[in-house]
Amino acid sequence: MAKLTLNGVEVEAEAGAPLVEVIKQQGVWISNLCYIDGLAPYAGCRSCLVEVEGARGLQLSCTARVADGMVVNTEKQPIKEARQQVLAIINANHSDRCLSCHRRVKCMPGDICLRDDVVTHRCVTCSKNYRCELQTTNELLDMGFENVEPWILEDRTYYQTEQPDPDRANPFFEFDPQMCILCTRCVRACDEIRHTSAISLSNKGYTSRIAFGAGGPIQDSNCDFCGACIDVCPTATLMEKPNKWIARTEDWTSTTCNSCSVGCTISVGTRSGRAVIVKPDYVNPVSADQICIRGRFHYDAIPDKQRLSKHYVRRGPTGTPQFPAHWGELVAYASEQLKGIIAKDGASAVAVLGSPFNTNEENYLAQKLARDVIGTPHIDFSSAAPNRAAGRAIEAAFGTEALASDAINIARSDVIVVIADDLEESHNVFSLRVKDAVVGQPVAPRSGKLILVSSQRGELADFCEPYGGVWLQPRVGEEALAAGALAKADGEVALLGESDLVVARNLLAEARDPSNIVSIIYAPHPLDARAAAEGAKAVANLAIALRGDKAAESLFVLPTEANANGARDMGVDPERGAGRVAADASGMDFAGMIDATHAGTLKAMVVVGDNPLMFAPGTPRIREALEKLEFVIVIDDVMTDTAKLAHCVFADVPEYAKTGTFSNAERRVNRLHAALDAIGDARPALLALTDLANALKPDAFAYDHPDAVTDEIAARVAGYEPFTSKFERWSKARVAEAATKSETQTVGTQPAAPADGQLLLTTSRTLYTSTDGAAVHAADADKLHREEFVEMHPADAGALQVLDGNDVVLMTEHGELSLKAKLSDRVQEGVVFVPYYLDGGAVCGLIASDGAPIAVQVKVAVAV
Amino acid sequence: MPDNEATLEIQHLIREFKPADGDLMGALHAVQHHYGYVPKMALKVVARQLRLSEAKVYGAATFYSEFRLTPPPETLIGWCSGLACRLENGHGIRKALETELGVGMGENTADNKVGLHFAQCNGTCEYAPQVWVNGRVVGSLTAASTVKLVRELKK
Repeated sequence: MAKLTLNGVEVEAEAGAPLVEVIKQQGVWISNLCYIDGLAPYAGCRSCLVEVEGARGLQLSCTARVADGMVVNTEKQPIKEARQQVLAIINANHSDRCLSCHRRVKCMPGDICLRDDVVTHRCVTCSKNYRCELQTTNELLDMGFENVEPWILEDRTYYQTEQPDPDRANPFFEFDPQMCILCTRCVRACDEIRHTSAISLSNKGYTSRIAFGAGGPIQDSNCDFCGACIDVCPTATLMEKPNKWIARTEDWTSTTCNSCSVGCTISVGTRSGRAVIVKPDYVNPVSADQICIRGRFHYDAIPDKQRLSKHYVRRGPTGTPQFPAHWGELVAYASEQLKGIIAKDGASAVAVLGSPFNTNEENYLAQKLARDVIGTPHIDFSSAAPNRAAGRAIEAAFGTEALASDAINIARSDVIVVIADDLEESHNVFSLRVKDAVVGQPVAPRSGKLILVSSQRGELADFCEPYGGVWLQPRVGEEALAAGALAKADGEVALLGESDLVVARNLLAEARDPSNIVSIIYAPHPLDARAAAEGAKAVANLAIALRGDKAAESLFVLPTEANANGARDMGVDPERGAGRVAADASGMDFAGMIDATHAGTLKAMVVVGDNPLMFAPGTPRIREALEKLEFVIVIDDVMTDTAKLAHCVFADVPEYAKTGTFSNAERRVNRLHAALDAIGDARPALLALTDLANALKPDAFAYDHPDAVTDEIAARVAGYEPFTSKFERWSKARVAEAATKSETQTVGTQPAAPADGQLLLTTSRTLYTSTDGAAVHAADADKLHREEFVEMHPADAGALQVLDGNDVVLMTEHGELSLKAKLSDRVQEGVVFVPYYLDGGAVCGLIASDGAPIAVQVKVAVAV
Repeated sequence: MPDNEATLEIQHLIREFKPADGDLMGALHAVQHHYGYVPKMALKVVARQLRLSEAKVYGAATFYSEFRLTPPPETLIGWCSGLACRLENGHGIRKALETELGVGMGENTADNKVGLHFAQCNGTCEYAPQVWVNGRVVGSLTAASTVKLVRELKK
């Protein structure tokens, strides 16, 4: 530690730390328009000048390093004037109407501006008014009226040069180079924080501009719209497009993103009870200052009017219309019908579905409703099979599936093994942390080695070989075999080339070194339970082979959905109750429920947030079953395909209007705080479950607040904590259990390879399609229209005479699907890929109910 | 990135360049030498080969004014901006060029036949005022001879 004097006050700081960060940490304001905390200084804006006594001239506090005995002054008049002069140069090439207008106190967005100025110059044209770092800097540096008064004797370069056109061509970002001060924060954030490098500084001198990709529109570049550049932009150059003008928030609420099992903590900005902006919330050390496009923009995926604002009831048979209903009427009708079925056919004629998108509280009450109130053991969720299979395999290896591995270690790993389809797309922020481990940042370079086992060429493939790692590309469905080969490190497996094998062997030797940090990340297939089970066995074997007794501490199994782990911890599992302990009576899993419905033994279903017609493979058979059921209750916040078949639809509130908890991939119990207001008559699912339970069995549920459910969970499920404080934004609580054993298991044989000339259809979670948009079949569920395709390898397309952009028909024995073809080497030869959530899980209609990749015929559609 | 003929050709042109500092310029030179300019799609191919992002390649290619991202015109007129030419009515020559061509400095005619660009003195000041037509010095110009020259080039 070094002692320095800052404006006459003695403070302690780490020697060698960037001075500007120390000044800011001490609560002293200093202008710094190009500096990003934690990254190497760029020293481009020169606005952080300070006086360091003894040094010649003024020093830039971003490049100056803390040394013992340093005497630093920031507030003396000459220093301030120097900074003002620097800022005046920056202002000279920036619109400054927002600073100089005499009516600025009345220029709130929406107010009518009466100033006799050119309309395009009005400050209301800049939506960053009052949340702009440059504007704040001008104010805090006392630039004053006299320094910036542009309409008198105007001769500044900004108003004399033609300004470039803004790029407003995509639904997420607005890029307005008129506002740019060329601080290059966005370039460095994209490069050093995100490792994407979609932004560069192009041209030179007066024509310097920030450019995306090859200088074209943003969506034509490799930008994946994470928004890291927006967060660092000090001006209105890069901004969120949705709600741009109303994004002055009244309130910020910390909650958890529900898009995948990373569980990033986000801050939802609201205005009049609806979300207008989302920013990452730094309290979570894994996601920290990063989220992905789903977290940042999918709150706005569908307009409020597409969410349910009324409850619906259908008193006639399937096919007759649903009519709006009052809450009390609906509860009475639903309970009466359920009671009738229970009386007639017994409680086991009723099944309950929870959901991996529900909070733990909702899932807990759903299983309690099933087991304690209705008295049926049949509780599951529609996409549970692969999750459960992987979980059971991990449990067989280690005695528990709540592994002690901590995601904070991923970015610090020396060797990382990733076994996934495309981790970048399915679990974006974990993928980012893997890249961190491989590349690090210029100030803190890292040299982690990545062994990627993936059949798809995702972004991570570029982080292998150039950095000393290796990318093994097994055939689709053979990931488990590849992981098994790594575990044994034998050369007999054809998929490991000789040179790859040498690299892999050397890396695995490094991974065996106990002093190294190793992360083994496995994202099971979202539909194929057999592959998930075999894969989980294989990765457990690999972890044990590499790390021995400590295997469980380096293994991550990432479910596709946000709260799949939580759902099973809560007992949404036909064999296990809350806390994953064996249930009193074993029930049917989801596939069993569908079979039982067809057999006529299952009569009613209570669907809490689930949508089997989107998430489960084998849609036609599931649809038939749901239509056959005598009574279906759905609780959801959008009119899903399943809700359309229901007899009673309880309108739930949107995700971010809920209070509760989510358990992410590493079973960190993240808090959700209600940020939004309910839409229309919608009421939280917890209320629907409580009222329904109480109508079925008086005083069954006596909860006066969601926290009461959380507390009951804490009492029953080991590792979960009660709500201790309303203001706790992020919990350190993790449900991690010590491994009781480390047993290797035999990995099953692979399925037979498809016959020659046959293509395999596979699917996986992709980055851009929103869950809510897909559930209502919104035309712009993927607003960028980047993934509304079937992806084919050019070689296959050539053989079938399919051209890029052709309309094609995919045909399997279960169904057919028409969509456009996209030729890409992201998929391997012999495989076609359709996104999982595309058009409400349309691909599930082509796949058998085991979810395995299936032989498919592709034909060019004939124009009618 | 689907392989097509153009992609394969560029890949062949830059086959010897490796992901290492300093190879970017060489790769861009090789492409420009072959095509006369750097086609936009070449940025992607170079980026993939050198394991850079397309944006980084674009940033470098636009930094150097001698790299062109559009096809060069058939005839490139360099207007000498040197002192001697300016003293001999170089600015009048520039006006004549711009008016007759109908384009501004640094632009090409719509049919890409003639382009005009800003050049620095090459020392042949005895021919002032002068322009360079595809590098060949055409000197001692007057407004009238400039117009005549441009009309011939436009044919």
